[in-house]
Amino acid sequence: MVSAPKRRYELTQSQKLMVFILSMSLYGISNMFSELIPELKLGPIELKVEYFAFIPLTLCILFNPLYAALGASFGEVIFGELLLGQFGGLGELEKFIEFTIAMYIAGLLVSDPRNRKQLALASFVAVGIDQMLGAIVDIGKVWFGIEDLEAVPGIPESILLIEGVGFLNAMLITGIFFSLLPTLFLVPRLYGKIEPLLGMKPRDSRVAISFGQLLTPRLLITAILFVFVGVIAEFLAESDINFAVWEPEFIEQYGSGFIWVSAIAALIVLILTLTAAFRAKAKSARASGNVKL
Amino acid sequence: MSAGSKEANEQRPEGLTPIIAMQDVQFQYPGAEGTALRNINLIIQPGEFIAIAGTNGSGKSTLCKCLNGLIPNYYVGDLSGSVQVAGLTAAEETVSSLSRKVAYVFQDFENQLVRPTVYDEACFAPLNYGYADYRERGQRALAMLGIDHLKEQWIWQLSGGQKHLTALAGALSLDPDIIIVDEPVAQLDPYHAKLIYEKLKLLNEQFGKTIIVIEHHTEFIADYCHKVILMDSGTIRWVKPVQAALSAVDELAALHILPPQVTLAVRDAETAAGQVHLRDRLFPITIEDAAAYFSEAKILSQTNNALVINEPIRKSVRESVPASNPLVTFTNVSYGYKTITRERYPVIQDMSIRFYEGDRIALVGNNGAGKSTLLKLISGIRRPSAGQLDVCGYLTKQASPEQLADFVAYVYQNPEEMFIEDSVRKDVEYFLKSRNSPDYSSFVDEILHRMRLTDLQDRDGRLLSGGQQRRATLAIGLAMRPTVMLLDEPTASLDASSRREMTDMLAQLDGQVKTTVIATHDMQLVAEWANRVIVMHNGAVALDTDQRSLFSHVAVLEKTGLLAPQITQLSQRLGIDPPSLSVAEFIASVVGDPSSPHYVNRSKESAAIGSH
Amino acid sequence: MEAIKQSMLDKLSVEQIKIELMRTAFGRQSTFLSRFDPRMLLVWYSFFAVAPWFIHNKVVLLGLLVPMLVLTLSSKVSPLVLIIMGVGLVSEISYILLGSLLFGGSLEAVWPLLTLTLKILLISLASIAVFSSMDPEKLSDALLSIGMPGQFSFGVSYGYRMLPILIEEYHNLIHSFRLRGRAPAKKGFLRVNSLIYMAKIGVRAFYPLLLNTAKRTRTTVEALEVRGFTYALVSPEAKKLKLSHMQVHALDFVFLGCSLIYVIALFSLGHYLSFSFN
Repeated sequence: MVSAPKRRYELTQSQKLMVFILSMSLYGISNMFSELIPELKLGPIELKVEYFAFIPLTLCILFNPLYAALGASFGEVIFGELLLGQFGGLGELEKFIEFTIAMYIAGLLVSDPRNRKQLALASFVAVGIDQMLGAIVDIGKVWFGIEDLEAVPGIPESILLIEGVGFLNAMLITGIFFSLLPTLFLVPRLYGKIEPLLGMKPRDSRVAISFGQLLTPRLLITAILFVFVGVIAEFLAESDINFAVWEPEFIEQYGSGFIWVSAIAALIVLILTLTAAFRAKAKSARASGNVKL
Repeated sequence: MSAGSKEANEQRPEGLTPIIAMQDVQFQYPGAEGTALRNINLIIQPGEFIAIAGTNGSGKSTLCKCLNGLIPNYYVGDLSGSVQVAGLTAAEETVSSLSRKVAYVFQDFENQLVRPTVYDEACFAPLNYGYADYRERGQRALAMLGIDHLKEQWIWQLSGGQKHLTALAGALSLDPDIIIVDEPVAQLDPYHAKLIYEKLKLLNEQFGKTIIVIEHHTEFIADYCHKVILMDSGTIRWVKPVQAALSAVDELAALHILPPQVTLAVRDAETAAGQVHLRDRLFPITIEDAAAYFSEAKILSQTNNALVINEPIRKSVRESVPASNPLVTFTNVSYGYKTITRERYPVIQDMSIRFYEGDRIALVGNNGAGKSTLLKLISGIRRPSAGQLDVCGYLTKQASPEQLADFVAYVYQNPEEMFIEDSVRKDVEYFLKSRNSPDYSSFVDEILHRMRLTDLQDRDGRLLSGGQQRRATLAIGLAMRPTVMLLDEPTASLDASSRREMTDMLAQLDGQVKTTVIATHDMQLVAEWANRVIVMHNGAVALDTDQRSLFSHVAVLEKTGLLAPQITQLSQRLGIDPPSLSVAEFIASVVGDPSSPHYVNRSKESAAIGSH
Repeated sequence: MEAIKQSMLDKLSVEQIKIELMRTAFGRQSTFLSRFDPRMLLVWYSFFAVAPWFIHNKVVLLGLLVPMLVLTLSSKVSPLVLIIMGVGLVSEISYILLGSLLFGGSLEAVWPLLTLTLKILLISLASIAVFSSMDPEKLSDALLSIGMPGQFSFGVSYGYRMLPILIEEYHNLIHSFRLRGRAPAKKGFLRVNSLIYMAKIGVRAFYPLLLNTAKRTRTTVEALEVRGFTYALVSPEAKKLKLSHMQVHALDFVFLGCSLIYVIALFSLGHYLSFSFN
């Protein structure tokens, strides 16, 4: 039997658990509702509530973004899928990763919860990153699922169109009504009030942001943007579409390999940054004698 | 060293190892200004049943959290002094090792339950601690409390009392030596509170557990506990055997703790008879003792004739009120909700009743009798599944809750669910603002002033104390200028002084609203406030009467699990007819003081408490 | 007329949704697949969730569809779930097709698109068959045994516990808004005003819900600490004990074996058939 480690639990560990549980149950329950809200379909354009993005976003901004983001994603899987008997297996994994990354980055972006500009930016970044990553996976699926994509004319453009419309729709409906407005409403009201309920001090905006902290989210966003553009470009290149816009001259000069290189480079940057970010978190958690969540 | 700790030490029988020994304990929460605990010296012997009493913030919970290691391992703060618990030195242990010796049932025990079913909940802790026999442990804990039949139930389907027992079983499964229960009575109705205490008594007597309850309901303390620890602003004022403790009537009252009604009755009766009390005079503290005391007729002999009151009992409202138009009319109303098996579970069955102007209705009955549902039906957030419900000229089936809100104000049981804005003032204004009422702000000022909330108006409602929260919700209701005011358990989980204050405020409602309906378990409130009592049982009206005759319907009381106030029970034992509803009334009928009014809203104990 | 409208709105009420949610979450039945060991089912599932992406032979894909359909039907899944999935799949594919026509494609695109549909269908059916009948607690135990963090499996049972509380609280908060608010006098085009009013309340109710839940969470985490949850997270003994109830039986191997034989048979058949087509 392992003897209980005789040490003082740092307060932070239970706080993390609290943030995790709070985020899990609240986003989970909202997810159950959004699953049930009927969608308004106008042809291929669906006006639907994708998710109540403001809940995890608010928590990511007010508390530790990593645990709030993880909690929200767990909440979605548990409440929105498992308890409703709709667990999609591996499909959930991709959603999980996309959503966690998006919320984590958006949460990191806000250094001062009272700064409305930062809040607005974070609101769109959260939805934007999630939708972008989702689009990448969707495109990837078609690409992979259809044997010779280039042999079937029209499909790549069609997919792009649909993903584009979906992206715009999400940015407008979810981004404005379920991310921007509620976040602007909630965060300033909750800031300084919800933290003591959990026995914590509010995040202090005056704390100087270290260079690393400042750099990481931007780097991440850039990396994701690169991957996004890269995949679309590659997708188009693969399927031999000749959009003037999409085929800059340098491709002819350097060959289409260039896009591959840039896409892969971007992907590597993304993976490296993410690993570094998570490592650093884990390290600091271990260093303070915490059980890793 | 405080006087109390000396006393505690003196009481230690030689040769017995105490199960809890605290020496010079001091604790300060991180970032807090004052110390939460100071100079704590306490010895508790195995097998004791102890009550810790004291006002809010006097350090009761903090003291208990030192025993299971939550302090200082979870709440990292400055702890000094030594704590020995069940042979362990707390400073060298972890929460997990101490928790196996000390079980804790929280005041908001609902949030302590984390598993879906009762059996899971009971097995949870032993499973976590890696006991291979965790199933047997869970099973045994359930059997000890007599709830094995609930084993397979979902937690959310249980009643409050059953949930509390489940939380207790979850704690018991680790086979702890000490069981700490934080305010068991606060969230439960009197019937279930008594049940919990009976179980604790059983655990204490048959299984030798040391029981510590944080409690300010002295009637329960009198019936079950051996000793009382009185805490005051972070220190132990004294530790006394229960009778001596509860006989310190004035000292308790000064700390907003209401002594048992029977104790007050004896004290007041003697005072009225001109007796002077010595400082350590012991008064009876239970109904039995008080009944024995009064039957010995120490002071009764001279006042025998006063036992029969000649004044006519006030007529039931239905007879006394002229046939004005009813404000609320139930005509064969039934209501049921769908369960997850898609069956309809009936809550209200074929009910027909009318509420009139001037009615102060107390809606009583055990949990699940349909009281809250009745209020929800009137407010329009539930609609009758059969029959018609007319509220101020509207059929609730056809009106939205927003429309009915012009006539009906509904104050929830849980105040936190009424605070939808970020300050008390905004919450009070919400109704008027949404209706664009002209010049509402002076009206709001007035209400805030009357409810003594002016200084608190910018705070968030949920950050206030229990009593303040209740006042704030009442203010929210009043600001709606309702015709019908509905209140669900307005005095639940309040300490004696807040409860007193609330009862007074409810008495002032008369001029503001036409009729008030209160669903409650608080029989003292019923006795002192209502003029009409409706007893509900299984979704139907079991009795519709006035507050005085209610307590003479013994069969109905028993069937519906209601307990009359202690003083009423005592007067019934003594054959006083009609039974007294307050201590002042009791004194009047026993001592025969003609100047004492028969119907008293403010009894003497209230005056004693209220003056602080 | 107003009354009818009102009652229509009620059908969509939180109350109704609450019942539906509770019914799905708490009313699970035992099915053919639910009797197997959850870990074995995970292995089974992970093959059928990935393999279709790499199979381009339509005969094999169609052959896989048959057992998937049978298993899905045996899992007593609600028809609604199937319909939603079907409609979603068909509409998605037809949009792609329509879009491709717009960009100068031809109806030839139907054939490859159908293959894609078939793949997605297979994967969705596999997950419905396995997971809709699997008790979430069982699933979480299975995931715990393959190294998922303990928080997840705790989250599942905690979800069960919190679901009714949170729904009830949210419902009460919504009522709080309605009991003091004022609904728009004009319903607006397509009841837009009412919808906006309700949506606004629905979002604003999260402000008190967040704070109230935060308050609850504090006690919960404290209780978890006392009851050894954090202790169990780092204790291998506790984990072993928790998972000791899961056992792989002979029946599990029979099921895996049958599946394997079927797949092999299908591949050989597919190989042969595609040859004969050529």
